[in-house]
Amino acid sequence: MSPPPPPAVGGPDVGVLEHEALLEGHRGGGGVPAERSRSRRGPWLVATAVAVGASVAAVVGGTDVVNAAGWPQLRRFLAAAAEPDLSGSFLALTARATLTTLAYAVLGTLGSLVIGIVGGVAASEAWWRATGAPAPAQRWQRGRGWWLASRVGLAVPRGIHEAVWGLLLLAVLGLDPLVAVLAIALPYGAVTAKVFAEILDDQPPEVHEALLAAGAGRARSVLYGLLPRALPEMISYGFYRFECSIRAAAILGIVGAGGLGFELALSFQSLRYEQMWTLLAALVVTSGAADWWGARVRARLRDPVPARRRDPVLSASLVAVVGLGVLSWTHLALDVGVLWSSRAVELGTDLLGRAWPPRLGPGGWGELVGLSLETVAMSVAAMALAAGGGAVAAVAVARRPGTGPLRRLAGGLGRGVLLVCRAVPPPVGALLVLFVLYPGPLPGAVALAVYNLGILGRLMAESLENLDEGPRRALRHQGATGSAAFLYAEVPRAAARFAAYGVYRWEVTIRETVVVGLVGAGGLGRAVAEQLAAFDYAALTTTLAALVVLTVLVDLAGSGLRRAIR
Amino acid sequence: MTGPPALAVLGGVTVRFGSRTALEGVDLRLVAGERVAVIGSSGAGKTTLLGVLNGSVAPTVGTVRLLGEDPAALGARARRELQRQIGTVYQQLHLVGPLRVIHNVNAGRLGHWSLARAAASLLRPREAEGALDALARMGIGDRAHDRTERLSGGQQQRVALARVLVQDPRLVLADEPVSALDPLRAREVVDLLTGMAAGSGRGVVVSVHRIELAGAGFDRVVGLRAGRVVLDGPPGALTPERVAELYALDPAPR
Repeated sequence: MSPPPPPAVGGPDVGVLEHEALLEGHRGGGGVPAERSRSRRGPWLVATAVAVGASVAAVVGGTDVVNAAGWPQLRRFLAAAAEPDLSGSFLALTARATLTTLAYAVLGTLGSLVIGIVGGVAASEAWWRATGAPAPAQRWQRGRGWWLASRVGLAVPRGIHEAVWGLLLLAVLGLDPLVAVLAIALPYGAVTAKVFAEILDDQPPEVHEALLAAGAGRARSVLYGLLPRALPEMISYGFYRFECSIRAAAILGIVGAGGLGFELALSFQSLRYEQMWTLLAALVVTSGAADWWGARVRARLRDPVPARRRDPVLSASLVAVVGLGVLSWTHLALDVGVLWSSRAVELGTDLLGRAWPPRLGPGGWGELVGLSLETVAMSVAAMALAAGGGAVAAVAVARRPGTGPLRRLAGGLGRGVLLVCRAVPPPVGALLVLFVLYPGPLPGAVALAVYNLGILGRLMAESLENLDEGPRRALRHQGATGSAAFLYAEVPRAAARFAAYGVYRWEVTIRETVVVGLVGAGGLGRAVAEQLAAFDYAALTTTLAALVVLTVLVDLAGSGLRRAIR
Repeated sequence: MTGPPALAVLGGVTVRFGSRTALEGVDLRLVAGERVAVIGSSGAGKTTLLGVLNGSVAPTVGTVRLLGEDPAALGARARRELQRQIGTVYQQLHLVGPLRVIHNVNAGRLGHWSLARAAASLLRPREAEGALDALARMGIGDRAHDRTERLSGGQQQRVALARVLVQDPRLVLADEPVSALDPLRAREVVDLLTGMAAGSGRGVVVSVHRIELAGAGFDRVVGLRAGRVVLDGPPGALTPERVAELYALDPAPR
């Protein structure tokens, strides 16, 4: 008899991460023999320790890091939390800004799903295995090249952060709501296409092949043979993307696209901190509602109601999606015609002409490599801080049976702090940290660490809460103290999970370094901001290429690490 | 009064969980060195009875004396000292999968160790000889440094037995320890458990739902039906009629 499998982890944020982790888990070659993975663990642990040490040293090192003159400002910001601006006019403004951010997220997600479905089919093996050749082996030989090309084609839009897309589109389209929608739809569409392709290829192929053999044609065979079974998983992923889109839409506001992020930046610049807290609250409520909705839909898709009855939650969600889509479109008054207006075409051609061929910036290779290392160090230091702090926070706030009222109160407060940590978008966090730290990689690392601490603390707490209680209770009942039982029964089981979450967030964070860099926190993101300001698009191409390469390298290192932990 | 000391004395114990009655008016006296099999169909109250015997379930009505003490009346520290004298093997084993076998065995010593010692032991096992000896007695001395979740179900069972052995309690309780094992393995595990009583004055209580395991090796059989003790005597008293009565379908409403 083996120990029972860990119960499914629930809750909004966790749903999101679990979703990704699950997708990873059953695709990412989980079949590594146990013995081999254990023997590999040592080198990975040593490498991690060295990387963390070097990164922290690199990020913290340097003279004057703390700007003591900024403390009063930070204190003022924190004190303003007690008196958010609740005047009628500002609440109306907040409501409009929230609607704008929501509309970006809704239309961006819908756009990414359209791209995802088309691109997903085009990037699936199933599609390219169904070329006209008679024998299956020949068919695949013919289709394989196309399949690889489609995969590579999707990697580039995916590697560029949505904030950078936003800035590029801003240069071409000007201040148009379409900027934010496309900045979400393009990179998310590419990610979605990759995931959808994998979902399609995971379906049992028999029906699809039978339809092909019966001469049903490629498109119809996919439509009837693969899509119906893949649909629940695809819908579930679509909702996960929506939750991400809300946060992305807020960040896009900060780079100039309007909505909550834009108002946040304005209030920040005019030192109206009480307004910032109102806006942050609106952001928390909006993304919380999206998380809640997504979690309900996912739960329903996992355990459908008995057949032949309409599921009320899913039906209502469908109506809500259509309604939100229409509302968003009218609210933003989108005009797709902007895309082929002579001005946009002219600016676009001009930008592309100047961006190609790429060129090194004035600093040459040395600067590029230096900034790349700084970016990696920033992400590693941030994650080390976030994972360590998150683990401590998780132990403090996890809801355990049999805790006293004082513990529970402290736990509730702690969860509130974590909520604020993950609600403040990293660029806003970086601006705040820049009050008290001089520009450089350190404020970026701190901002990213605080944001991820909010996510990881919550996630780790839930994974503690969901541990099977049997082993701990068994040790308690044989006379062990609470802390000894915790040390033996909980820590070993939680540790591997915590580490895996940390690595997963690292892969996300390397992409996020660019947004804290945009506000001046260092790394390649700062170079992006400077090159954009100087219209040096040829150098920008090089910087973006370096970011894409870093992302790919971190993904590779991350999947190796996660295999070693498992 | 002479004879071996009493390990547990239950007087008129009734346990209710909400509206469900799990045990009803149970009187039971266990003495040192006794080897007791508890039998009964599932839902008869076997797990609850063992819970009362290790102090984790408090009676709704009635009195409980474990090693002469009333567990409900003890402070946290005294209660832990009592509980470390009582070892339990669970049906689900409750081992910690990612820990190495030797640490799972040493977890049996946690009631005796300080927190600092417990933490240090995770880096470099303390009292390793005792743990290795217990594992050898259970027949898996060679697996001490493997991760516990890599062991087979039968081997994990033996780790759980080794854990209770190093705990060195005066009373060993085992809740359905063999329900997941084939008959041959089940016999071996029951023999290992009853063997723990030999020469040590330790009491051993094993609940089994397969009647044929309750014979050899036990001094006494306690039969439960719908929360009541309906049979209490030597294994020889297990006549087919008594057994049929014990397992007869219960007409009582659920």
